[in-house]
Amino acid sequence: MKTQFKRTLSQILIFLSANLGPLGVKTGFCYPFFYCNSCPAATSACPLRALEVGVFQNSFKWKLLLFPLLIIGFFGVLTGRAICGWACPIGLLQRVTAPVARRLKKIPVIKHMGNMLLPIEPKLRYLKYLVLIGLVFFTTALIGFMFTNLCPIGFLTGTIPTLLLYPSEFVFNSLFFYPALVIFILFLILIFIVERGWCRYFCPLGALFAPFNKISMVHVARVDEDTFQKKCLHCNACSDVCPMGIDVTKMNRDPECILCGKCVEACPKNLIEFKKR
Amino acid sequence: MKKTSKKKKQFFAQLIFFILITGSLSGMLIGTDVYEEVHDSLVEVLCLSCLKLDPKTTKEFTFDTVNNAAHAEYVTDNLSSGIVFLHYSEDACPGCDIMLPIVQDLLSVEYEKKELFSANVNYEGQQINYFYTNLDHATPGRTEPFETYDIQNVKGLPMFTIVTLGYYSGVIKPKLVTLYGTLGVDTYEQRMQVLEEVIEDAFTLWNENIPGYEP
Repeated sequence: MKTQFKRTLSQILIFLSANLGPLGVKTGFCYPFFYCNSCPAATSACPLRALEVGVFQNSFKWKLLLFPLLIIGFFGVLTGRAICGWACPIGLLQRVTAPVARRLKKIPVIKHMGNMLLPIEPKLRYLKYLVLIGLVFFTTALIGFMFTNLCPIGFLTGTIPTLLLYPSEFVFNSLFFYPALVIFILFLILIFIVERGWCRYFCPLGALFAPFNKISMVHVARVDEDTFQKKCLHCNACSDVCPMGIDVTKMNRDPECILCGKCVEACPKNLIEFKKR
Repeated sequence: MKKTSKKKKQFFAQLIFFILITGSLSGMLIGTDVYEEVHDSLVEVLCLSCLKLDPKTTKEFTFDTVNNAAHAEYVTDNLSSGIVFLHYSEDACPGCDIMLPIVQDLLSVEYEKKELFSANVNYEGQQINYFYTNLDHATPGRTEPFETYDIQNVKGLPMFTIVTLGYYSGVIKPKLVTLYGTLGVDTYEQRMQVLEEVIEDAFTLWNENIPGYEP
């Protein structure tokens, strides 16, 4: 079975398993990926909401703070950021929008804008760490909930399904609904113009998983250095297909790698592989 | 040789991390109530602010409870002296923080949000038996009506239930209305007004039916 087919299957199965609420499956776990606990079909809790409750107005509920971090840590140590590439439903959504983003990239105006942003693009990737520290932890500890109340993923997986399923039972909460709607529209624009734009620049869960790529037991890497140097055609096929925009030829346990395996499949000389340990 | 030693070190670090994380996670699941806490407060209780929506406010009183469950004894007992106002909240809940001062101003009561509070409030010459329950700090007996009175099956906080009396097939029985979230309106004044109207209706019903009430 080809890697990308396995990945699609895994993403679909995990998406379905995250939505077993109507069958009475309600667990006390946090999802290890991005999904909202206010989704009518949710089976588990949003890890970010749990973290926010853990620090809410300096309350420091250590159990709620540690539990999602350990769940993320567990998967992180085993597979690094593979959860982003193989499990996250928002990753699946961005796989669907990726072909549009790739096509739009060829339009001269967007290409020009992309070229202009190119020098600062690596720095923009640090935004997700700011989102995590600033909006998930600091503002929640000092003021109150911020990220999850405005979260575009919550809007997509919680608000919209609820409005579709119970159109006459809910009204908009003006304090959160309209700002969240604006952010959701911006999120949609982003994922349609930049491939995996949300994962690259804003996802606070991606920020939590990213450092684990440095120590994860499974990772994507070049075959041994000598063989790579001898056989690499410098065709750039690996970097061209990378949805995270990584220069795969120079990659060494890159925190941005989501272990999707596209580069592994693309290399004509099989010089990139999944590695254990 | 150097490469092998580096690989060994890396594997050792991975193993240590894995054992530490797996051990801590198992320890938390076995030794603490974190699983129940996440289940009860994040999965089972609907986060209205995450949803960015409020349930539509229905001001109509009903005799129905969820699954026709019996009313708690402290509710039926207190109905003899006035209407019963049940207010449910939790520690980390933006809607609860918005509604708390409104209720406190309306009923002229003061308490901290992290405690349980009850009082017999004199409201324009009549008695409101007010019970504030923070679900994060409540005893099971106190939380029971939260499920009994969640008639729209919202499971969201804050939740307000006002219990009064009504006449049904020759019997005077508790009749109630449940409101959720920030009541589906936008301002302090509008929220206050919704509560005032519901309390007024509750008193009208209570005054009509109290003569025949037997708890």
